[in-house]
Amino acid sequence: MTEPASDLTATTVLPETQPGVGIARVDTTSLTRMTHELSSEQGARLADLFATEAGDDAATFRVVYALDREQRYVVLESVVSGQRSPALSQLDPAAFVEECEIYEQFGIRPADGRSMNRVLTAPGTNRRLGWRGQGRDGRPDRAHAPHLVEGEAIEFPFGPVRAVGWESLYTGLVTTGEEVLDLYLFYWHKHRGIERRLVGRTPERALFFVERADGLNAIGNGLAFCHALEAAAGSDPPAPAAHARSIALELERIYNHTAAIAAVCQATGLSVGQAGVEIVLEDLLRLNAAAFGHRYLFGVLAPGGVRRAPDRDAIRGRLERHCDELQRVAHALLHTNSHVDRLEATGVLELDVPRRLGLVGPIARACGAELDSRRDHPFAPYDQLVPAVAAAQQGDVLSRMQVMLAEVAESERLIFEQLDESGVAATPVTPRSAEGLGWAESPRGESLIWLALDDDGDIARLRLRPASVRNWRAFDDAARSQNVFTDIPIIEASFWLTVAGGAR
Amino acid sequence: MTLWFLRGLRTGIVTTRYPAELDAWTETLPAPPRFRPELLTEQLADGLVDVCPFGALAREGDELVVDLGACTSCGLCVEHGAGAVVPGTVFELASPRRELLVKRVPIRGGP
Repeated sequence: MTEPASDLTATTVLPETQPGVGIARVDTTSLTRMTHELSSEQGARLADLFATEAGDDAATFRVVYALDREQRYVVLESVVSGQRSPALSQLDPAAFVEECEIYEQFGIRPADGRSMNRVLTAPGTNRRLGWRGQGRDGRPDRAHAPHLVEGEAIEFPFGPVRAVGWESLYTGLVTTGEEVLDLYLFYWHKHRGIERRLVGRTPERALFFVERADGLNAIGNGLAFCHALEAAAGSDPPAPAAHARSIALELERIYNHTAAIAAVCQATGLSVGQAGVEIVLEDLLRLNAAAFGHRYLFGVLAPGGVRRAPDRDAIRGRLERHCDELQRVAHALLHTNSHVDRLEATGVLELDVPRRLGLVGPIARACGAELDSRRDHPFAPYDQLVPAVAAAQQGDVLSRMQVMLAEVAESERLIFEQLDESGVAATPVTPRSAEGLGWAESPRGESLIWLALDDDGDIARLRLRPASVRNWRAFDDAARSQNVFTDIPIIEASFWLTVAGGAR
Repeated sequence: MTLWFLRGLRTGIVTTRYPAELDAWTETLPAPPRFRPELLTEQLADGLVDVCPFGALAREGDELVVDLGACTSCGLCVEHGAGAVVPGTVFELASPRRELLVKRVPIRGGP
């Protein structure tokens, strides 16, 4: 990254310590300017913003931008002293939720004094997980940025306790009676303080918990963790293990997308369609168990490789049949007018929303944003096996469902292309006093992990950023687009995010 | 709706006879482990207590206390059990009282 000569003293561009990632150490003035340049002038995508301890009354801010067309990430590191930071969300709205998180964790808020939302822990819970910001006077003083409810509108709460099996999620609905005027979410009821609890653990034990932090993305998040660890060690997994990992990741994508389609059928009340898709879902979960020993693919990954290879016979004998059945059921769904009518023009995200909010995954692709970290930031084997990226243009529930169906077919192809090359293997990785950034395209989109290891090789800081963290912030936009109450479950099903992924 | 009716006829009934019969595919499902007391040493038992992420194992004198209600069948104890812990096959563990899920395994392998 080049800088004008007069700014060289304000910016230190570090040698690239891992392929595809550039790090620039900047002062806060340059942080503001470079955030503006990256987001406004270069069209970069904000992938994450987080802070780490930097001594008394200071924190190191790390702003991660994705330059997808250039196939690299840029990390801006800046030490912020005191309790005020640059107002990055003024320049890039995609940073707002993360600024709120940092305020709760470190008591540091943007200098423009804007109202912050509480996002991590519920008010009055007194949960102390060791973050510096908890218990300080600078705690968030409002649960939600204020908005006016006037005229005939009313606001009523829904949740956090919802239907059996649904994750705890509080929805504040503003309505005139049927139409959704506004909506906001609180997912802090499921906060588990995972980032904090993993400090001091070995990488092997940390991986165990990262897999289970957001169980439906065990491979997506686990793979991002392994990549971060391997980047810190400067090593790559053996090729057979890379193929095994990819097969697990694509199996995870297939069953998640199938589950989402079933959930959409449930939300529209099409029980017979839901049953048809759920039969396929159960078959896919049993295939996961046969292929990798666990229905939800836990215990497959290991630092430096994998703990088990896929059962090729099981995959060859069953995957094509299950995917074909899904496409047959989907064909029937798309020819059921009463069902399609509930999907078209429902939960519309305008085409500029992915860019404005930094969305990822099928939700972004359904708005025409062709992002896919497998192609844009490839790691083995995706550098050779380049996936075709599915996209749609209407941004509604139907578009999201069509993108998911296309991705199932592509995942099936990718699995068969590499099945014979997969195997169990691992390269020992024992980095110490190192940092690394890892990513993987989980079923819900790009999952990102940054970690730092201490002198003993234990976790000193872990930043866990599942795809759901980025995408939940778009739910209110989707709900507001001329929808009614009964559209909310359909929209939520089409998003198919996890509360666990947000409230980690 | 005709096409759904015809699909239903073609698919047929997928419901199995469980619990009258165990479905064959469940044979490979993860299940809480079994312990071999004669191979279980005190040192190994202490190590297993440390390895379990869910607090399902505890040491009480010359017994290893196994709380099946806390066990998630993750397999870590099997991995570190040096043959004294083997994969189990029983996952039908529903019990009318919580305390019935707590088992005691004698440590007979010595120190």
